[in-house]
Amino acid sequence: MPSFVTYLIHTLFPPTVRFPDILLIDAGLVLGGLGLIGFLTKTHRWGWLWREWLTTVDHKKIAVMYLISAIVMLFRGGIDAEMLRAQLAMPSVHFMPAIQYDEVFTTHGTIMIFFMAMPFIFALFNAVVPLMIGARDVAFPRVNAMSFWLFAFGAILFNISFIIGGSPDAGWTAYPPYTGLAFNPGPGENYYFLSLLIAGMGTTMTGINFLVTTIRMRAPGMTLMKMPMFVWTTMVTSALILFAFPPLTVALAMSLFDRLFGSSFFTLTRGGMPMMYVNLFWLFGHPEVYILVLPLFGVFSEVVATYSKKALFGYPMMVVSVLAIMFLSYGTWVHHFFTMGAGPAVNAFFGLSTMLIAIPTGVKIFNWIFTMWGGRIQMTTAMLYQMAFIPTFVIGGASGVMLAVVPADYQLHNTYFLIAHFHNVIIGGTLFGLLSGMYYWWPKMFGMKLNERQGKVAFWLFFIGFWITFTPQYLLGLKGMTRRLYTYPAGLGWHELNVISTVGAWIMGAGFVALVYNVVWSLLYGERDVTGDPWDGRTLEWSLPSPVPEYNFARIPVVHERDAWWAMKQKGQTMAHALRPEDVHDIEMPKNTPIPFLLGVSFFVLGFGMTFKWWPIAIVGILGVIACLLFSGFDYDDHHHLEADVVRQTEASLGRLQG
Amino acid sequence: MSEAPKAMTAEEAYHNENDKVLRFLEPRFHEEKFPSIQILGYIGSLILTFGAYFLVMNHVLPPVALLSVILILAVFQAALQLGVFMHIREGRGLAWQLIPLYFVFFVALGMVAMSIWIMLFKSGVS
Ligand code: HEM
Ligand SMILES: [Cu+2]
Repeated sequence: MPSFVTYLIHTLFPPTVRFPDILLIDAGLVLGGLGLIGFLTKTHRWGWLWREWLTTVDHKKIAVMYLISAIVMLFRGGIDAEMLRAQLAMPSVHFMPAIQYDEVFTTHGTIMIFFMAMPFIFALFNAVVPLMIGARDVAFPRVNAMSFWLFAFGAILFNISFIIGGSPDAGWTAYPPYTGLAFNPGPGENYYFLSLLIAGMGTTMTGINFLVTTIRMRAPGMTLMKMPMFVWTTMVTSALILFAFPPLTVALAMSLFDRLFGSSFFTLTRGGMPMMYVNLFWLFGHPEVYILVLPLFGVFSEVVATYSKKALFGYPMMVVSVLAIMFLSYGTWVHHFFTMGAGPAVNAFFGLSTMLIAIPTGVKIFNWIFTMWGGRIQMTTAMLYQMAFIPTFVIGGASGVMLAVVPADYQLHNTYFLIAHFHNVIIGGTLFGLLSGMYYWWPKMFGMKLNERQGKVAFWLFFIGFWITFTPQYLLGLKGMTRRLYTYPAGLGWHELNVISTVGAWIMGAGFVALVYNVVWSLLYGERDVTGDPWDGRTLEWSLPSPVPEYNFARIPVVHERDAWWAMKQKGQTMAHALRPEDVHDIEMPKNTPIPFLLGVSFFVLGFGMTFKWWPIAIVGILGVIACLLFSGFDYDDHHHLEADVVRQTEASLGRLQG
Repeated sequence: MSEAPKAMTAEEAYHNENDKVLRFLEPRFHEEKFPSIQILGYIGSLILTFGAYFLVMNHVLPPVALLSVILILAVFQAALQLGVFMHIREGRGLAWQLIPLYFVFFVALGMVAMSIWIMLFKSGVS
């Protein structure tokens, strides 16, 4: 049927996905995919992949999968960034047409926030939180796997948009009315809304899971004020997720309804209210930026204490300021749309509340500095990121306070000054924190260290590249260059600064290459970690061997002090000395299950069908979802016993059993 | 090395006189033969949802009355979810249930009230 085929080709491959570069990527993806399938078949790895990874509910393996996805997405988002900078390097460059430029900045922002930073954070949560609190897994292991697969298939759905059907092009904030059908008829925005809805469900579930885990699963003796700082920030971040994602879900779902089912929540006609979307989005959006940074505050608190060989300075103040940030971050969202003009009272209120948030943040900065004060600091890569973070984040915060001054914001809003501000906090806070955490916990996750020398090279490239990229952007903003501009004429005085910024972006690109080289090299030749405690750490995860056995703790530890493992080491009371064969009992472990993976697949089918309004496909997806939920609802066979003997053998082979 | 005090098992710690505070952390499970409450709750929540949908789609009421009615339905819905599915009635101590719950109400009401305040501008400044 030729008409059917032409319809398919027109829908799936409209002109926006037929640029030569995209065709090239298509070819690359097909080849790569075939190569991967060939490799798996040739080495008989399919069963292994299925048993060990796709069906796993082990938080440590889920962490690894999150980490791999996050790094792949960092790559994709980074390529987008380099493309944007290439276009802006010179005046009047038309390397990409306007429509493609719009698509690229949209996917760049969305991917970096939702599909890079979030999964990277969850990688760290999964990798260490259960170990830090002395638990054998998270509270709901199966839900944890579901979260991962919902995220993964949401990310896949989002990422295929640029080869099938066309990418969204309304920015990572996706404001109506431009996202309405009247202005944006293609499937692009459907991809955006659906993939974020699917991934968002996963994120909400992760929030619930880690809230329950940190509240209920702590080892006996670990009272709230004895939790490691990273556990505190995990708990608070989870609470933020729990409150922040519902407004986003509502906003996305209503926009989707406008596009698919003819409602008019946010349209210009029939009484729709586009501004309400903006309000809902930032009701989520501001807490989200703290979701993106609080966990890394936790990472830095662990890193700085370990490498300074001192307890964290002012722990109670740190806790109080994290809680204060949590409260305050719900009361500042209007600062993202001061220019909407809600009136002087509203703007003044939210301007002030925004500035208030700088206070608890400042408290934390001082506490980190005082922790280093007088300590014996080891300049490891993780510590370098921590030390780079402090000045970078301070400057980002200061420019944030400038933006919070309402009259100034009327000038600076949506200029490159804003771009420079949030990259300053998101790269300096979030990305540096993620990398710091990755270098710090890598031995625990993979059993070998990342090479320090290569790591430092990557660090300096990132750090220097960052400043060269973004300092000029503050000035560009002051010179009136607005964001989301696909090209600009010569003679505005923007030329030189843009060249410098692009050079900086290349340096950061080189940093990414160095990072990947570092990871691959270390996986092949890295120094093994045989002690389980390579950094002379303070918290319980370092009491375990690296990599950690499936059941984590042969016996659940009892905690008496804040830096529990440090205290045990001081008293010569480490696990290895105390664990006797009779201390080991049968362990109940969650059982692998294919349901989370199949649930992800079903949601993907559902999302794909809805994106193109191919209802039969969507219905198949829904049926799959229902089947998965029903099955897992009645599946009582969800755990198994690990025999004490097996545990004893494992512990003995690790040299951790007495006698 | 001096003799290290023998470390307690988790079970021992939960029941240790000095660590009574920990008791609330001990896992506890609640089993029932048939989830009749949940099934009724599920049907009830569907009725509340479709009721609101019906009222809106068929324009049965004038706008203000309509808004009030669906708001009331929403309150019922929230109460039902909390009572039936969120284990609100199963706690031992009150603290862990109530503090977060108050916090939820506080944040939710704050969000709604402030959003209304923000969006009022459409009638004021031009
Ligand atoms: C002292 C702390 C901070 C203050 C006072 C502050 C203030 C602001 C203000 C006023 C804006 C809106 C500017 C405009 O649109 O004209 C803004 C935007 C932004 N901020 Fe911050 N901020 C702070 C910290 C952070 C942190 C920690 C992050 C993330 C880790 C962050 C991420 C962002 C992002 C992503 C945007 C722009 C969103 C967009 O329009 O696409 N900020 N900030
Ligand atoms: Cu904000």
